[in-house]
Amino acid sequence: MDNLDAARLQMAFTLIFHIVFACVGMVMPFFMIVAHKKWLNTKDVIYLKLTKSWQKGVAIFFVVGAVSGTALSFELGLLWPEFMKYAGPIIGMPFSLEGAAFFVEAIALGFYLYGWDKIPEKFHWFTGVIVGVSGVASGILVVSANGWMNAPSGFDYINGEFVNIDPIKALLNPAWFTQALHMTLAAFTATGFAVAGIHAYQIYKHRHVELHKKAFKIAITFGAVAAILQPISGDLSAKDIAKRQPIKLAAMEAHYETQKGAPLYIGGIVNGETREVTHKIEIPKALSFLAFGDFDAEVKGLNDFPKDVQPNVPIVHYAFQTMVGLGTLLLIFGLVFFVSLVKKSWWTKRKFWLIFALLAPLGFIALEAGWIVTEVGRQPWIIHNIMKTKDAVTPMPGMIYSFYMYMGLYAILTLAVTWLMMRQIKSLNHPNLN
Amino acid sequence: MLNVVLFFLMVSLLLYVILAGADFGAGIVELFSTKKNQQLTKKTIYRVMGPVWEANHIWIIILVVILWVGFPEFYNVLVVYLHIPLTLVLLGITMRGVAFVFRHYDAFKDKSQILYDWMFRFSSLVTPIFLGMTAGSMLSGQLVITDDYANYNFIDLFVQPWFNGFSILVGVFFASLCAFLASILLIGESHANDRKVYVSKSEKATAAVVGIGFIIICYGFYHNITFVTDFIKNPVTVGLVILSFILIFPLIISIKKAKKVTTRMLAGIQVSLILVAAFVTHFPVLIIAYNKNINLLETASPDKVINVLGISLIIGGLVILPGLFHLMKSFKMIKVLDD
Repeated sequence: MDNLDAARLQMAFTLIFHIVFACVGMVMPFFMIVAHKKWLNTKDVIYLKLTKSWQKGVAIFFVVGAVSGTALSFELGLLWPEFMKYAGPIIGMPFSLEGAAFFVEAIALGFYLYGWDKIPEKFHWFTGVIVGVSGVASGILVVSANGWMNAPSGFDYINGEFVNIDPIKALLNPAWFTQALHMTLAAFTATGFAVAGIHAYQIYKHRHVELHKKAFKIAITFGAVAAILQPISGDLSAKDIAKRQPIKLAAMEAHYETQKGAPLYIGGIVNGETREVTHKIEIPKALSFLAFGDFDAEVKGLNDFPKDVQPNVPIVHYAFQTMVGLGTLLLIFGLVFFVSLVKKSWWTKRKFWLIFALLAPLGFIALEAGWIVTEVGRQPWIIHNIMKTKDAVTPMPGMIYSFYMYMGLYAILTLAVTWLMMRQIKSLNHPNLN
Repeated sequence: MLNVVLFFLMVSLLLYVILAGADFGAGIVELFSTKKNQQLTKKTIYRVMGPVWEANHIWIIILVVILWVGFPEFYNVLVVYLHIPLTLVLLGITMRGVAFVFRHYDAFKDKSQILYDWMFRFSSLVTPIFLGMTAGSMLSGQLVITDDYANYNFIDLFVQPWFNGFSILVGVFFASLCAFLASILLIGESHANDRKVYVSKSEKATAAVVGIGFIIICYGFYHNITFVTDFIKNPVTVGLVILSFILIFPLIISIKKAKKVTTRMLAGIQVSLILVAAFVTHFPVLIIAYNKNINLLETASPDKVINVLGISLIIGGLVILPGLFHLMKSFKMIKVLDD
């Protein structure tokens, strides 16, 4: 493996790891403050117990997210020094604002975690709200920086020099809104279904059912609403990409031949060598409609673009299929949840809880797949149409060892956090604790 | 606006060194304590640092962001040539953060605590050492800055510049500064009987700081390291260091009189003086390499970027600083404000 591949893999692993923690750390505070509010309103002790247990989850995920985020802020420079040298000043604004938002989050979390019975009740609850809001704000800002890599703006590129830098224009780049909306909804969907799934499993196992049902309802409500809204955001993203990054769109769809009234492929096996897709389901004209809102619009195929600016098509296509497939599945079960509020008998069936328990990891798999689509789909560019990834990588040789080290570290961390969470849940069911 | 940015750069550096330094130092104090005192220190650390430690460590992110946005070429030299020590710092930060949370948030307090404790103490010691080594190598005159990577071997470019006597000494020096800050902080947070434990720790840490500082000067003088020879020739830096040394005496008195506020203030000022002295020796040249010097100001981004950065920092500062102040005050970390 050469240096570039090792650096890319290290970046990918760190991001895949960090995203899970960042999402949970950004969404779970909302579950926590809803449960907290219910405790304040009803004085039902179960809600207090739930709030305190979720706050432990938030604390653990926040810290692991914060340290892996600190590592990432360095890795951007350590792995891609040439990228940061030029892009740093241009996209500095979202990063400095993100730093501020993150700081606010850490301060508010300090108040929240340690403020029980020490600061006024309402202010204490409100610091929880600030944790959630500033968490979402940091998420949006970081995604805006990523959006800039897809839609570079706020500078003129003349003779290989970045001049007339306008950081505000770079912050509000054409991709920021669609990407941020899609990611925020994805974070709520993934975390909502994951947390709900864990509680559903506890109900399935008949452990402390009363508490877990309350927890399930809060978490799944967030997840289901976000999952149901997500297709709207997905449609905005698709139309945006069709305009700005037609190669990425073509790779997502494994669309090789330029065509009017292009069909949409569902599934299919992509042969990158022969540039053919087999075993697919074709929906006539659907791709043209989804990309341009017109059944007969022309969709440019990969064969009409130079080969050296094309991403790895099979990876992008499979990741895209995974994201859309799982997203649709979660949407359906989001609707199932709302129906179950009317058909109350479903809540007494064990099968119902088993299904939601099985859905737990799917939101995160979809979310990671979505990031693979956008990141691998941008290749070979690190800054779309401006700088190639291979020109940005560190000149230091031996990145493969760094990759092994990070992979080892994050594998251990993943196991440790999982183990810690299992112990958290175990303690929740233990009648004598808390 | 460049001055505003430089001001925030300096403030974040100072706050990181003092706040995160005290935080690292607490782990070092715990590491060098007897078994009984380790549990005591652990409890005190949690009580004192728990609400604020995360915020303390965010200063380094602010620092890094200011560098890459405002001084991209300067930052570029750091991340390319000091890749390895910075990676080791990151590993340390990660291990430490995780261990801190694990040992206080694990639902069951059992044998696994032993592992968390050792992870915490060990990473508390090595992280500031690597941080100090990184800073030391910026000034060691051993970095080789080149575009011609093929002509050098890996060790000369990427290892030797930070893995050398001078950088290691600076690393150990920084770790002892952290231990000094932490023991001073802990004196004010302990009960009458435990105070003497931390008083004795602070004495040892002070001796270490002075001793290692002296060794660094001798080593640098003997090996003709530009930074050190200029450091001892510059009347301002020498004055600052002497002032910092003299402050030991009022510090001892205020510890004896149990004046928590004054004690902490003095220790903070002492560390700041040393840092400022190192900073001004060559400012704005902050990287002294083997083959060239890098002037921080010459690497500054275009005015428009600096302006936006400055404004973002002012807005961020207005939001963050009052909140942080209130947080520390609420949890009596700096009881200072009430006494």
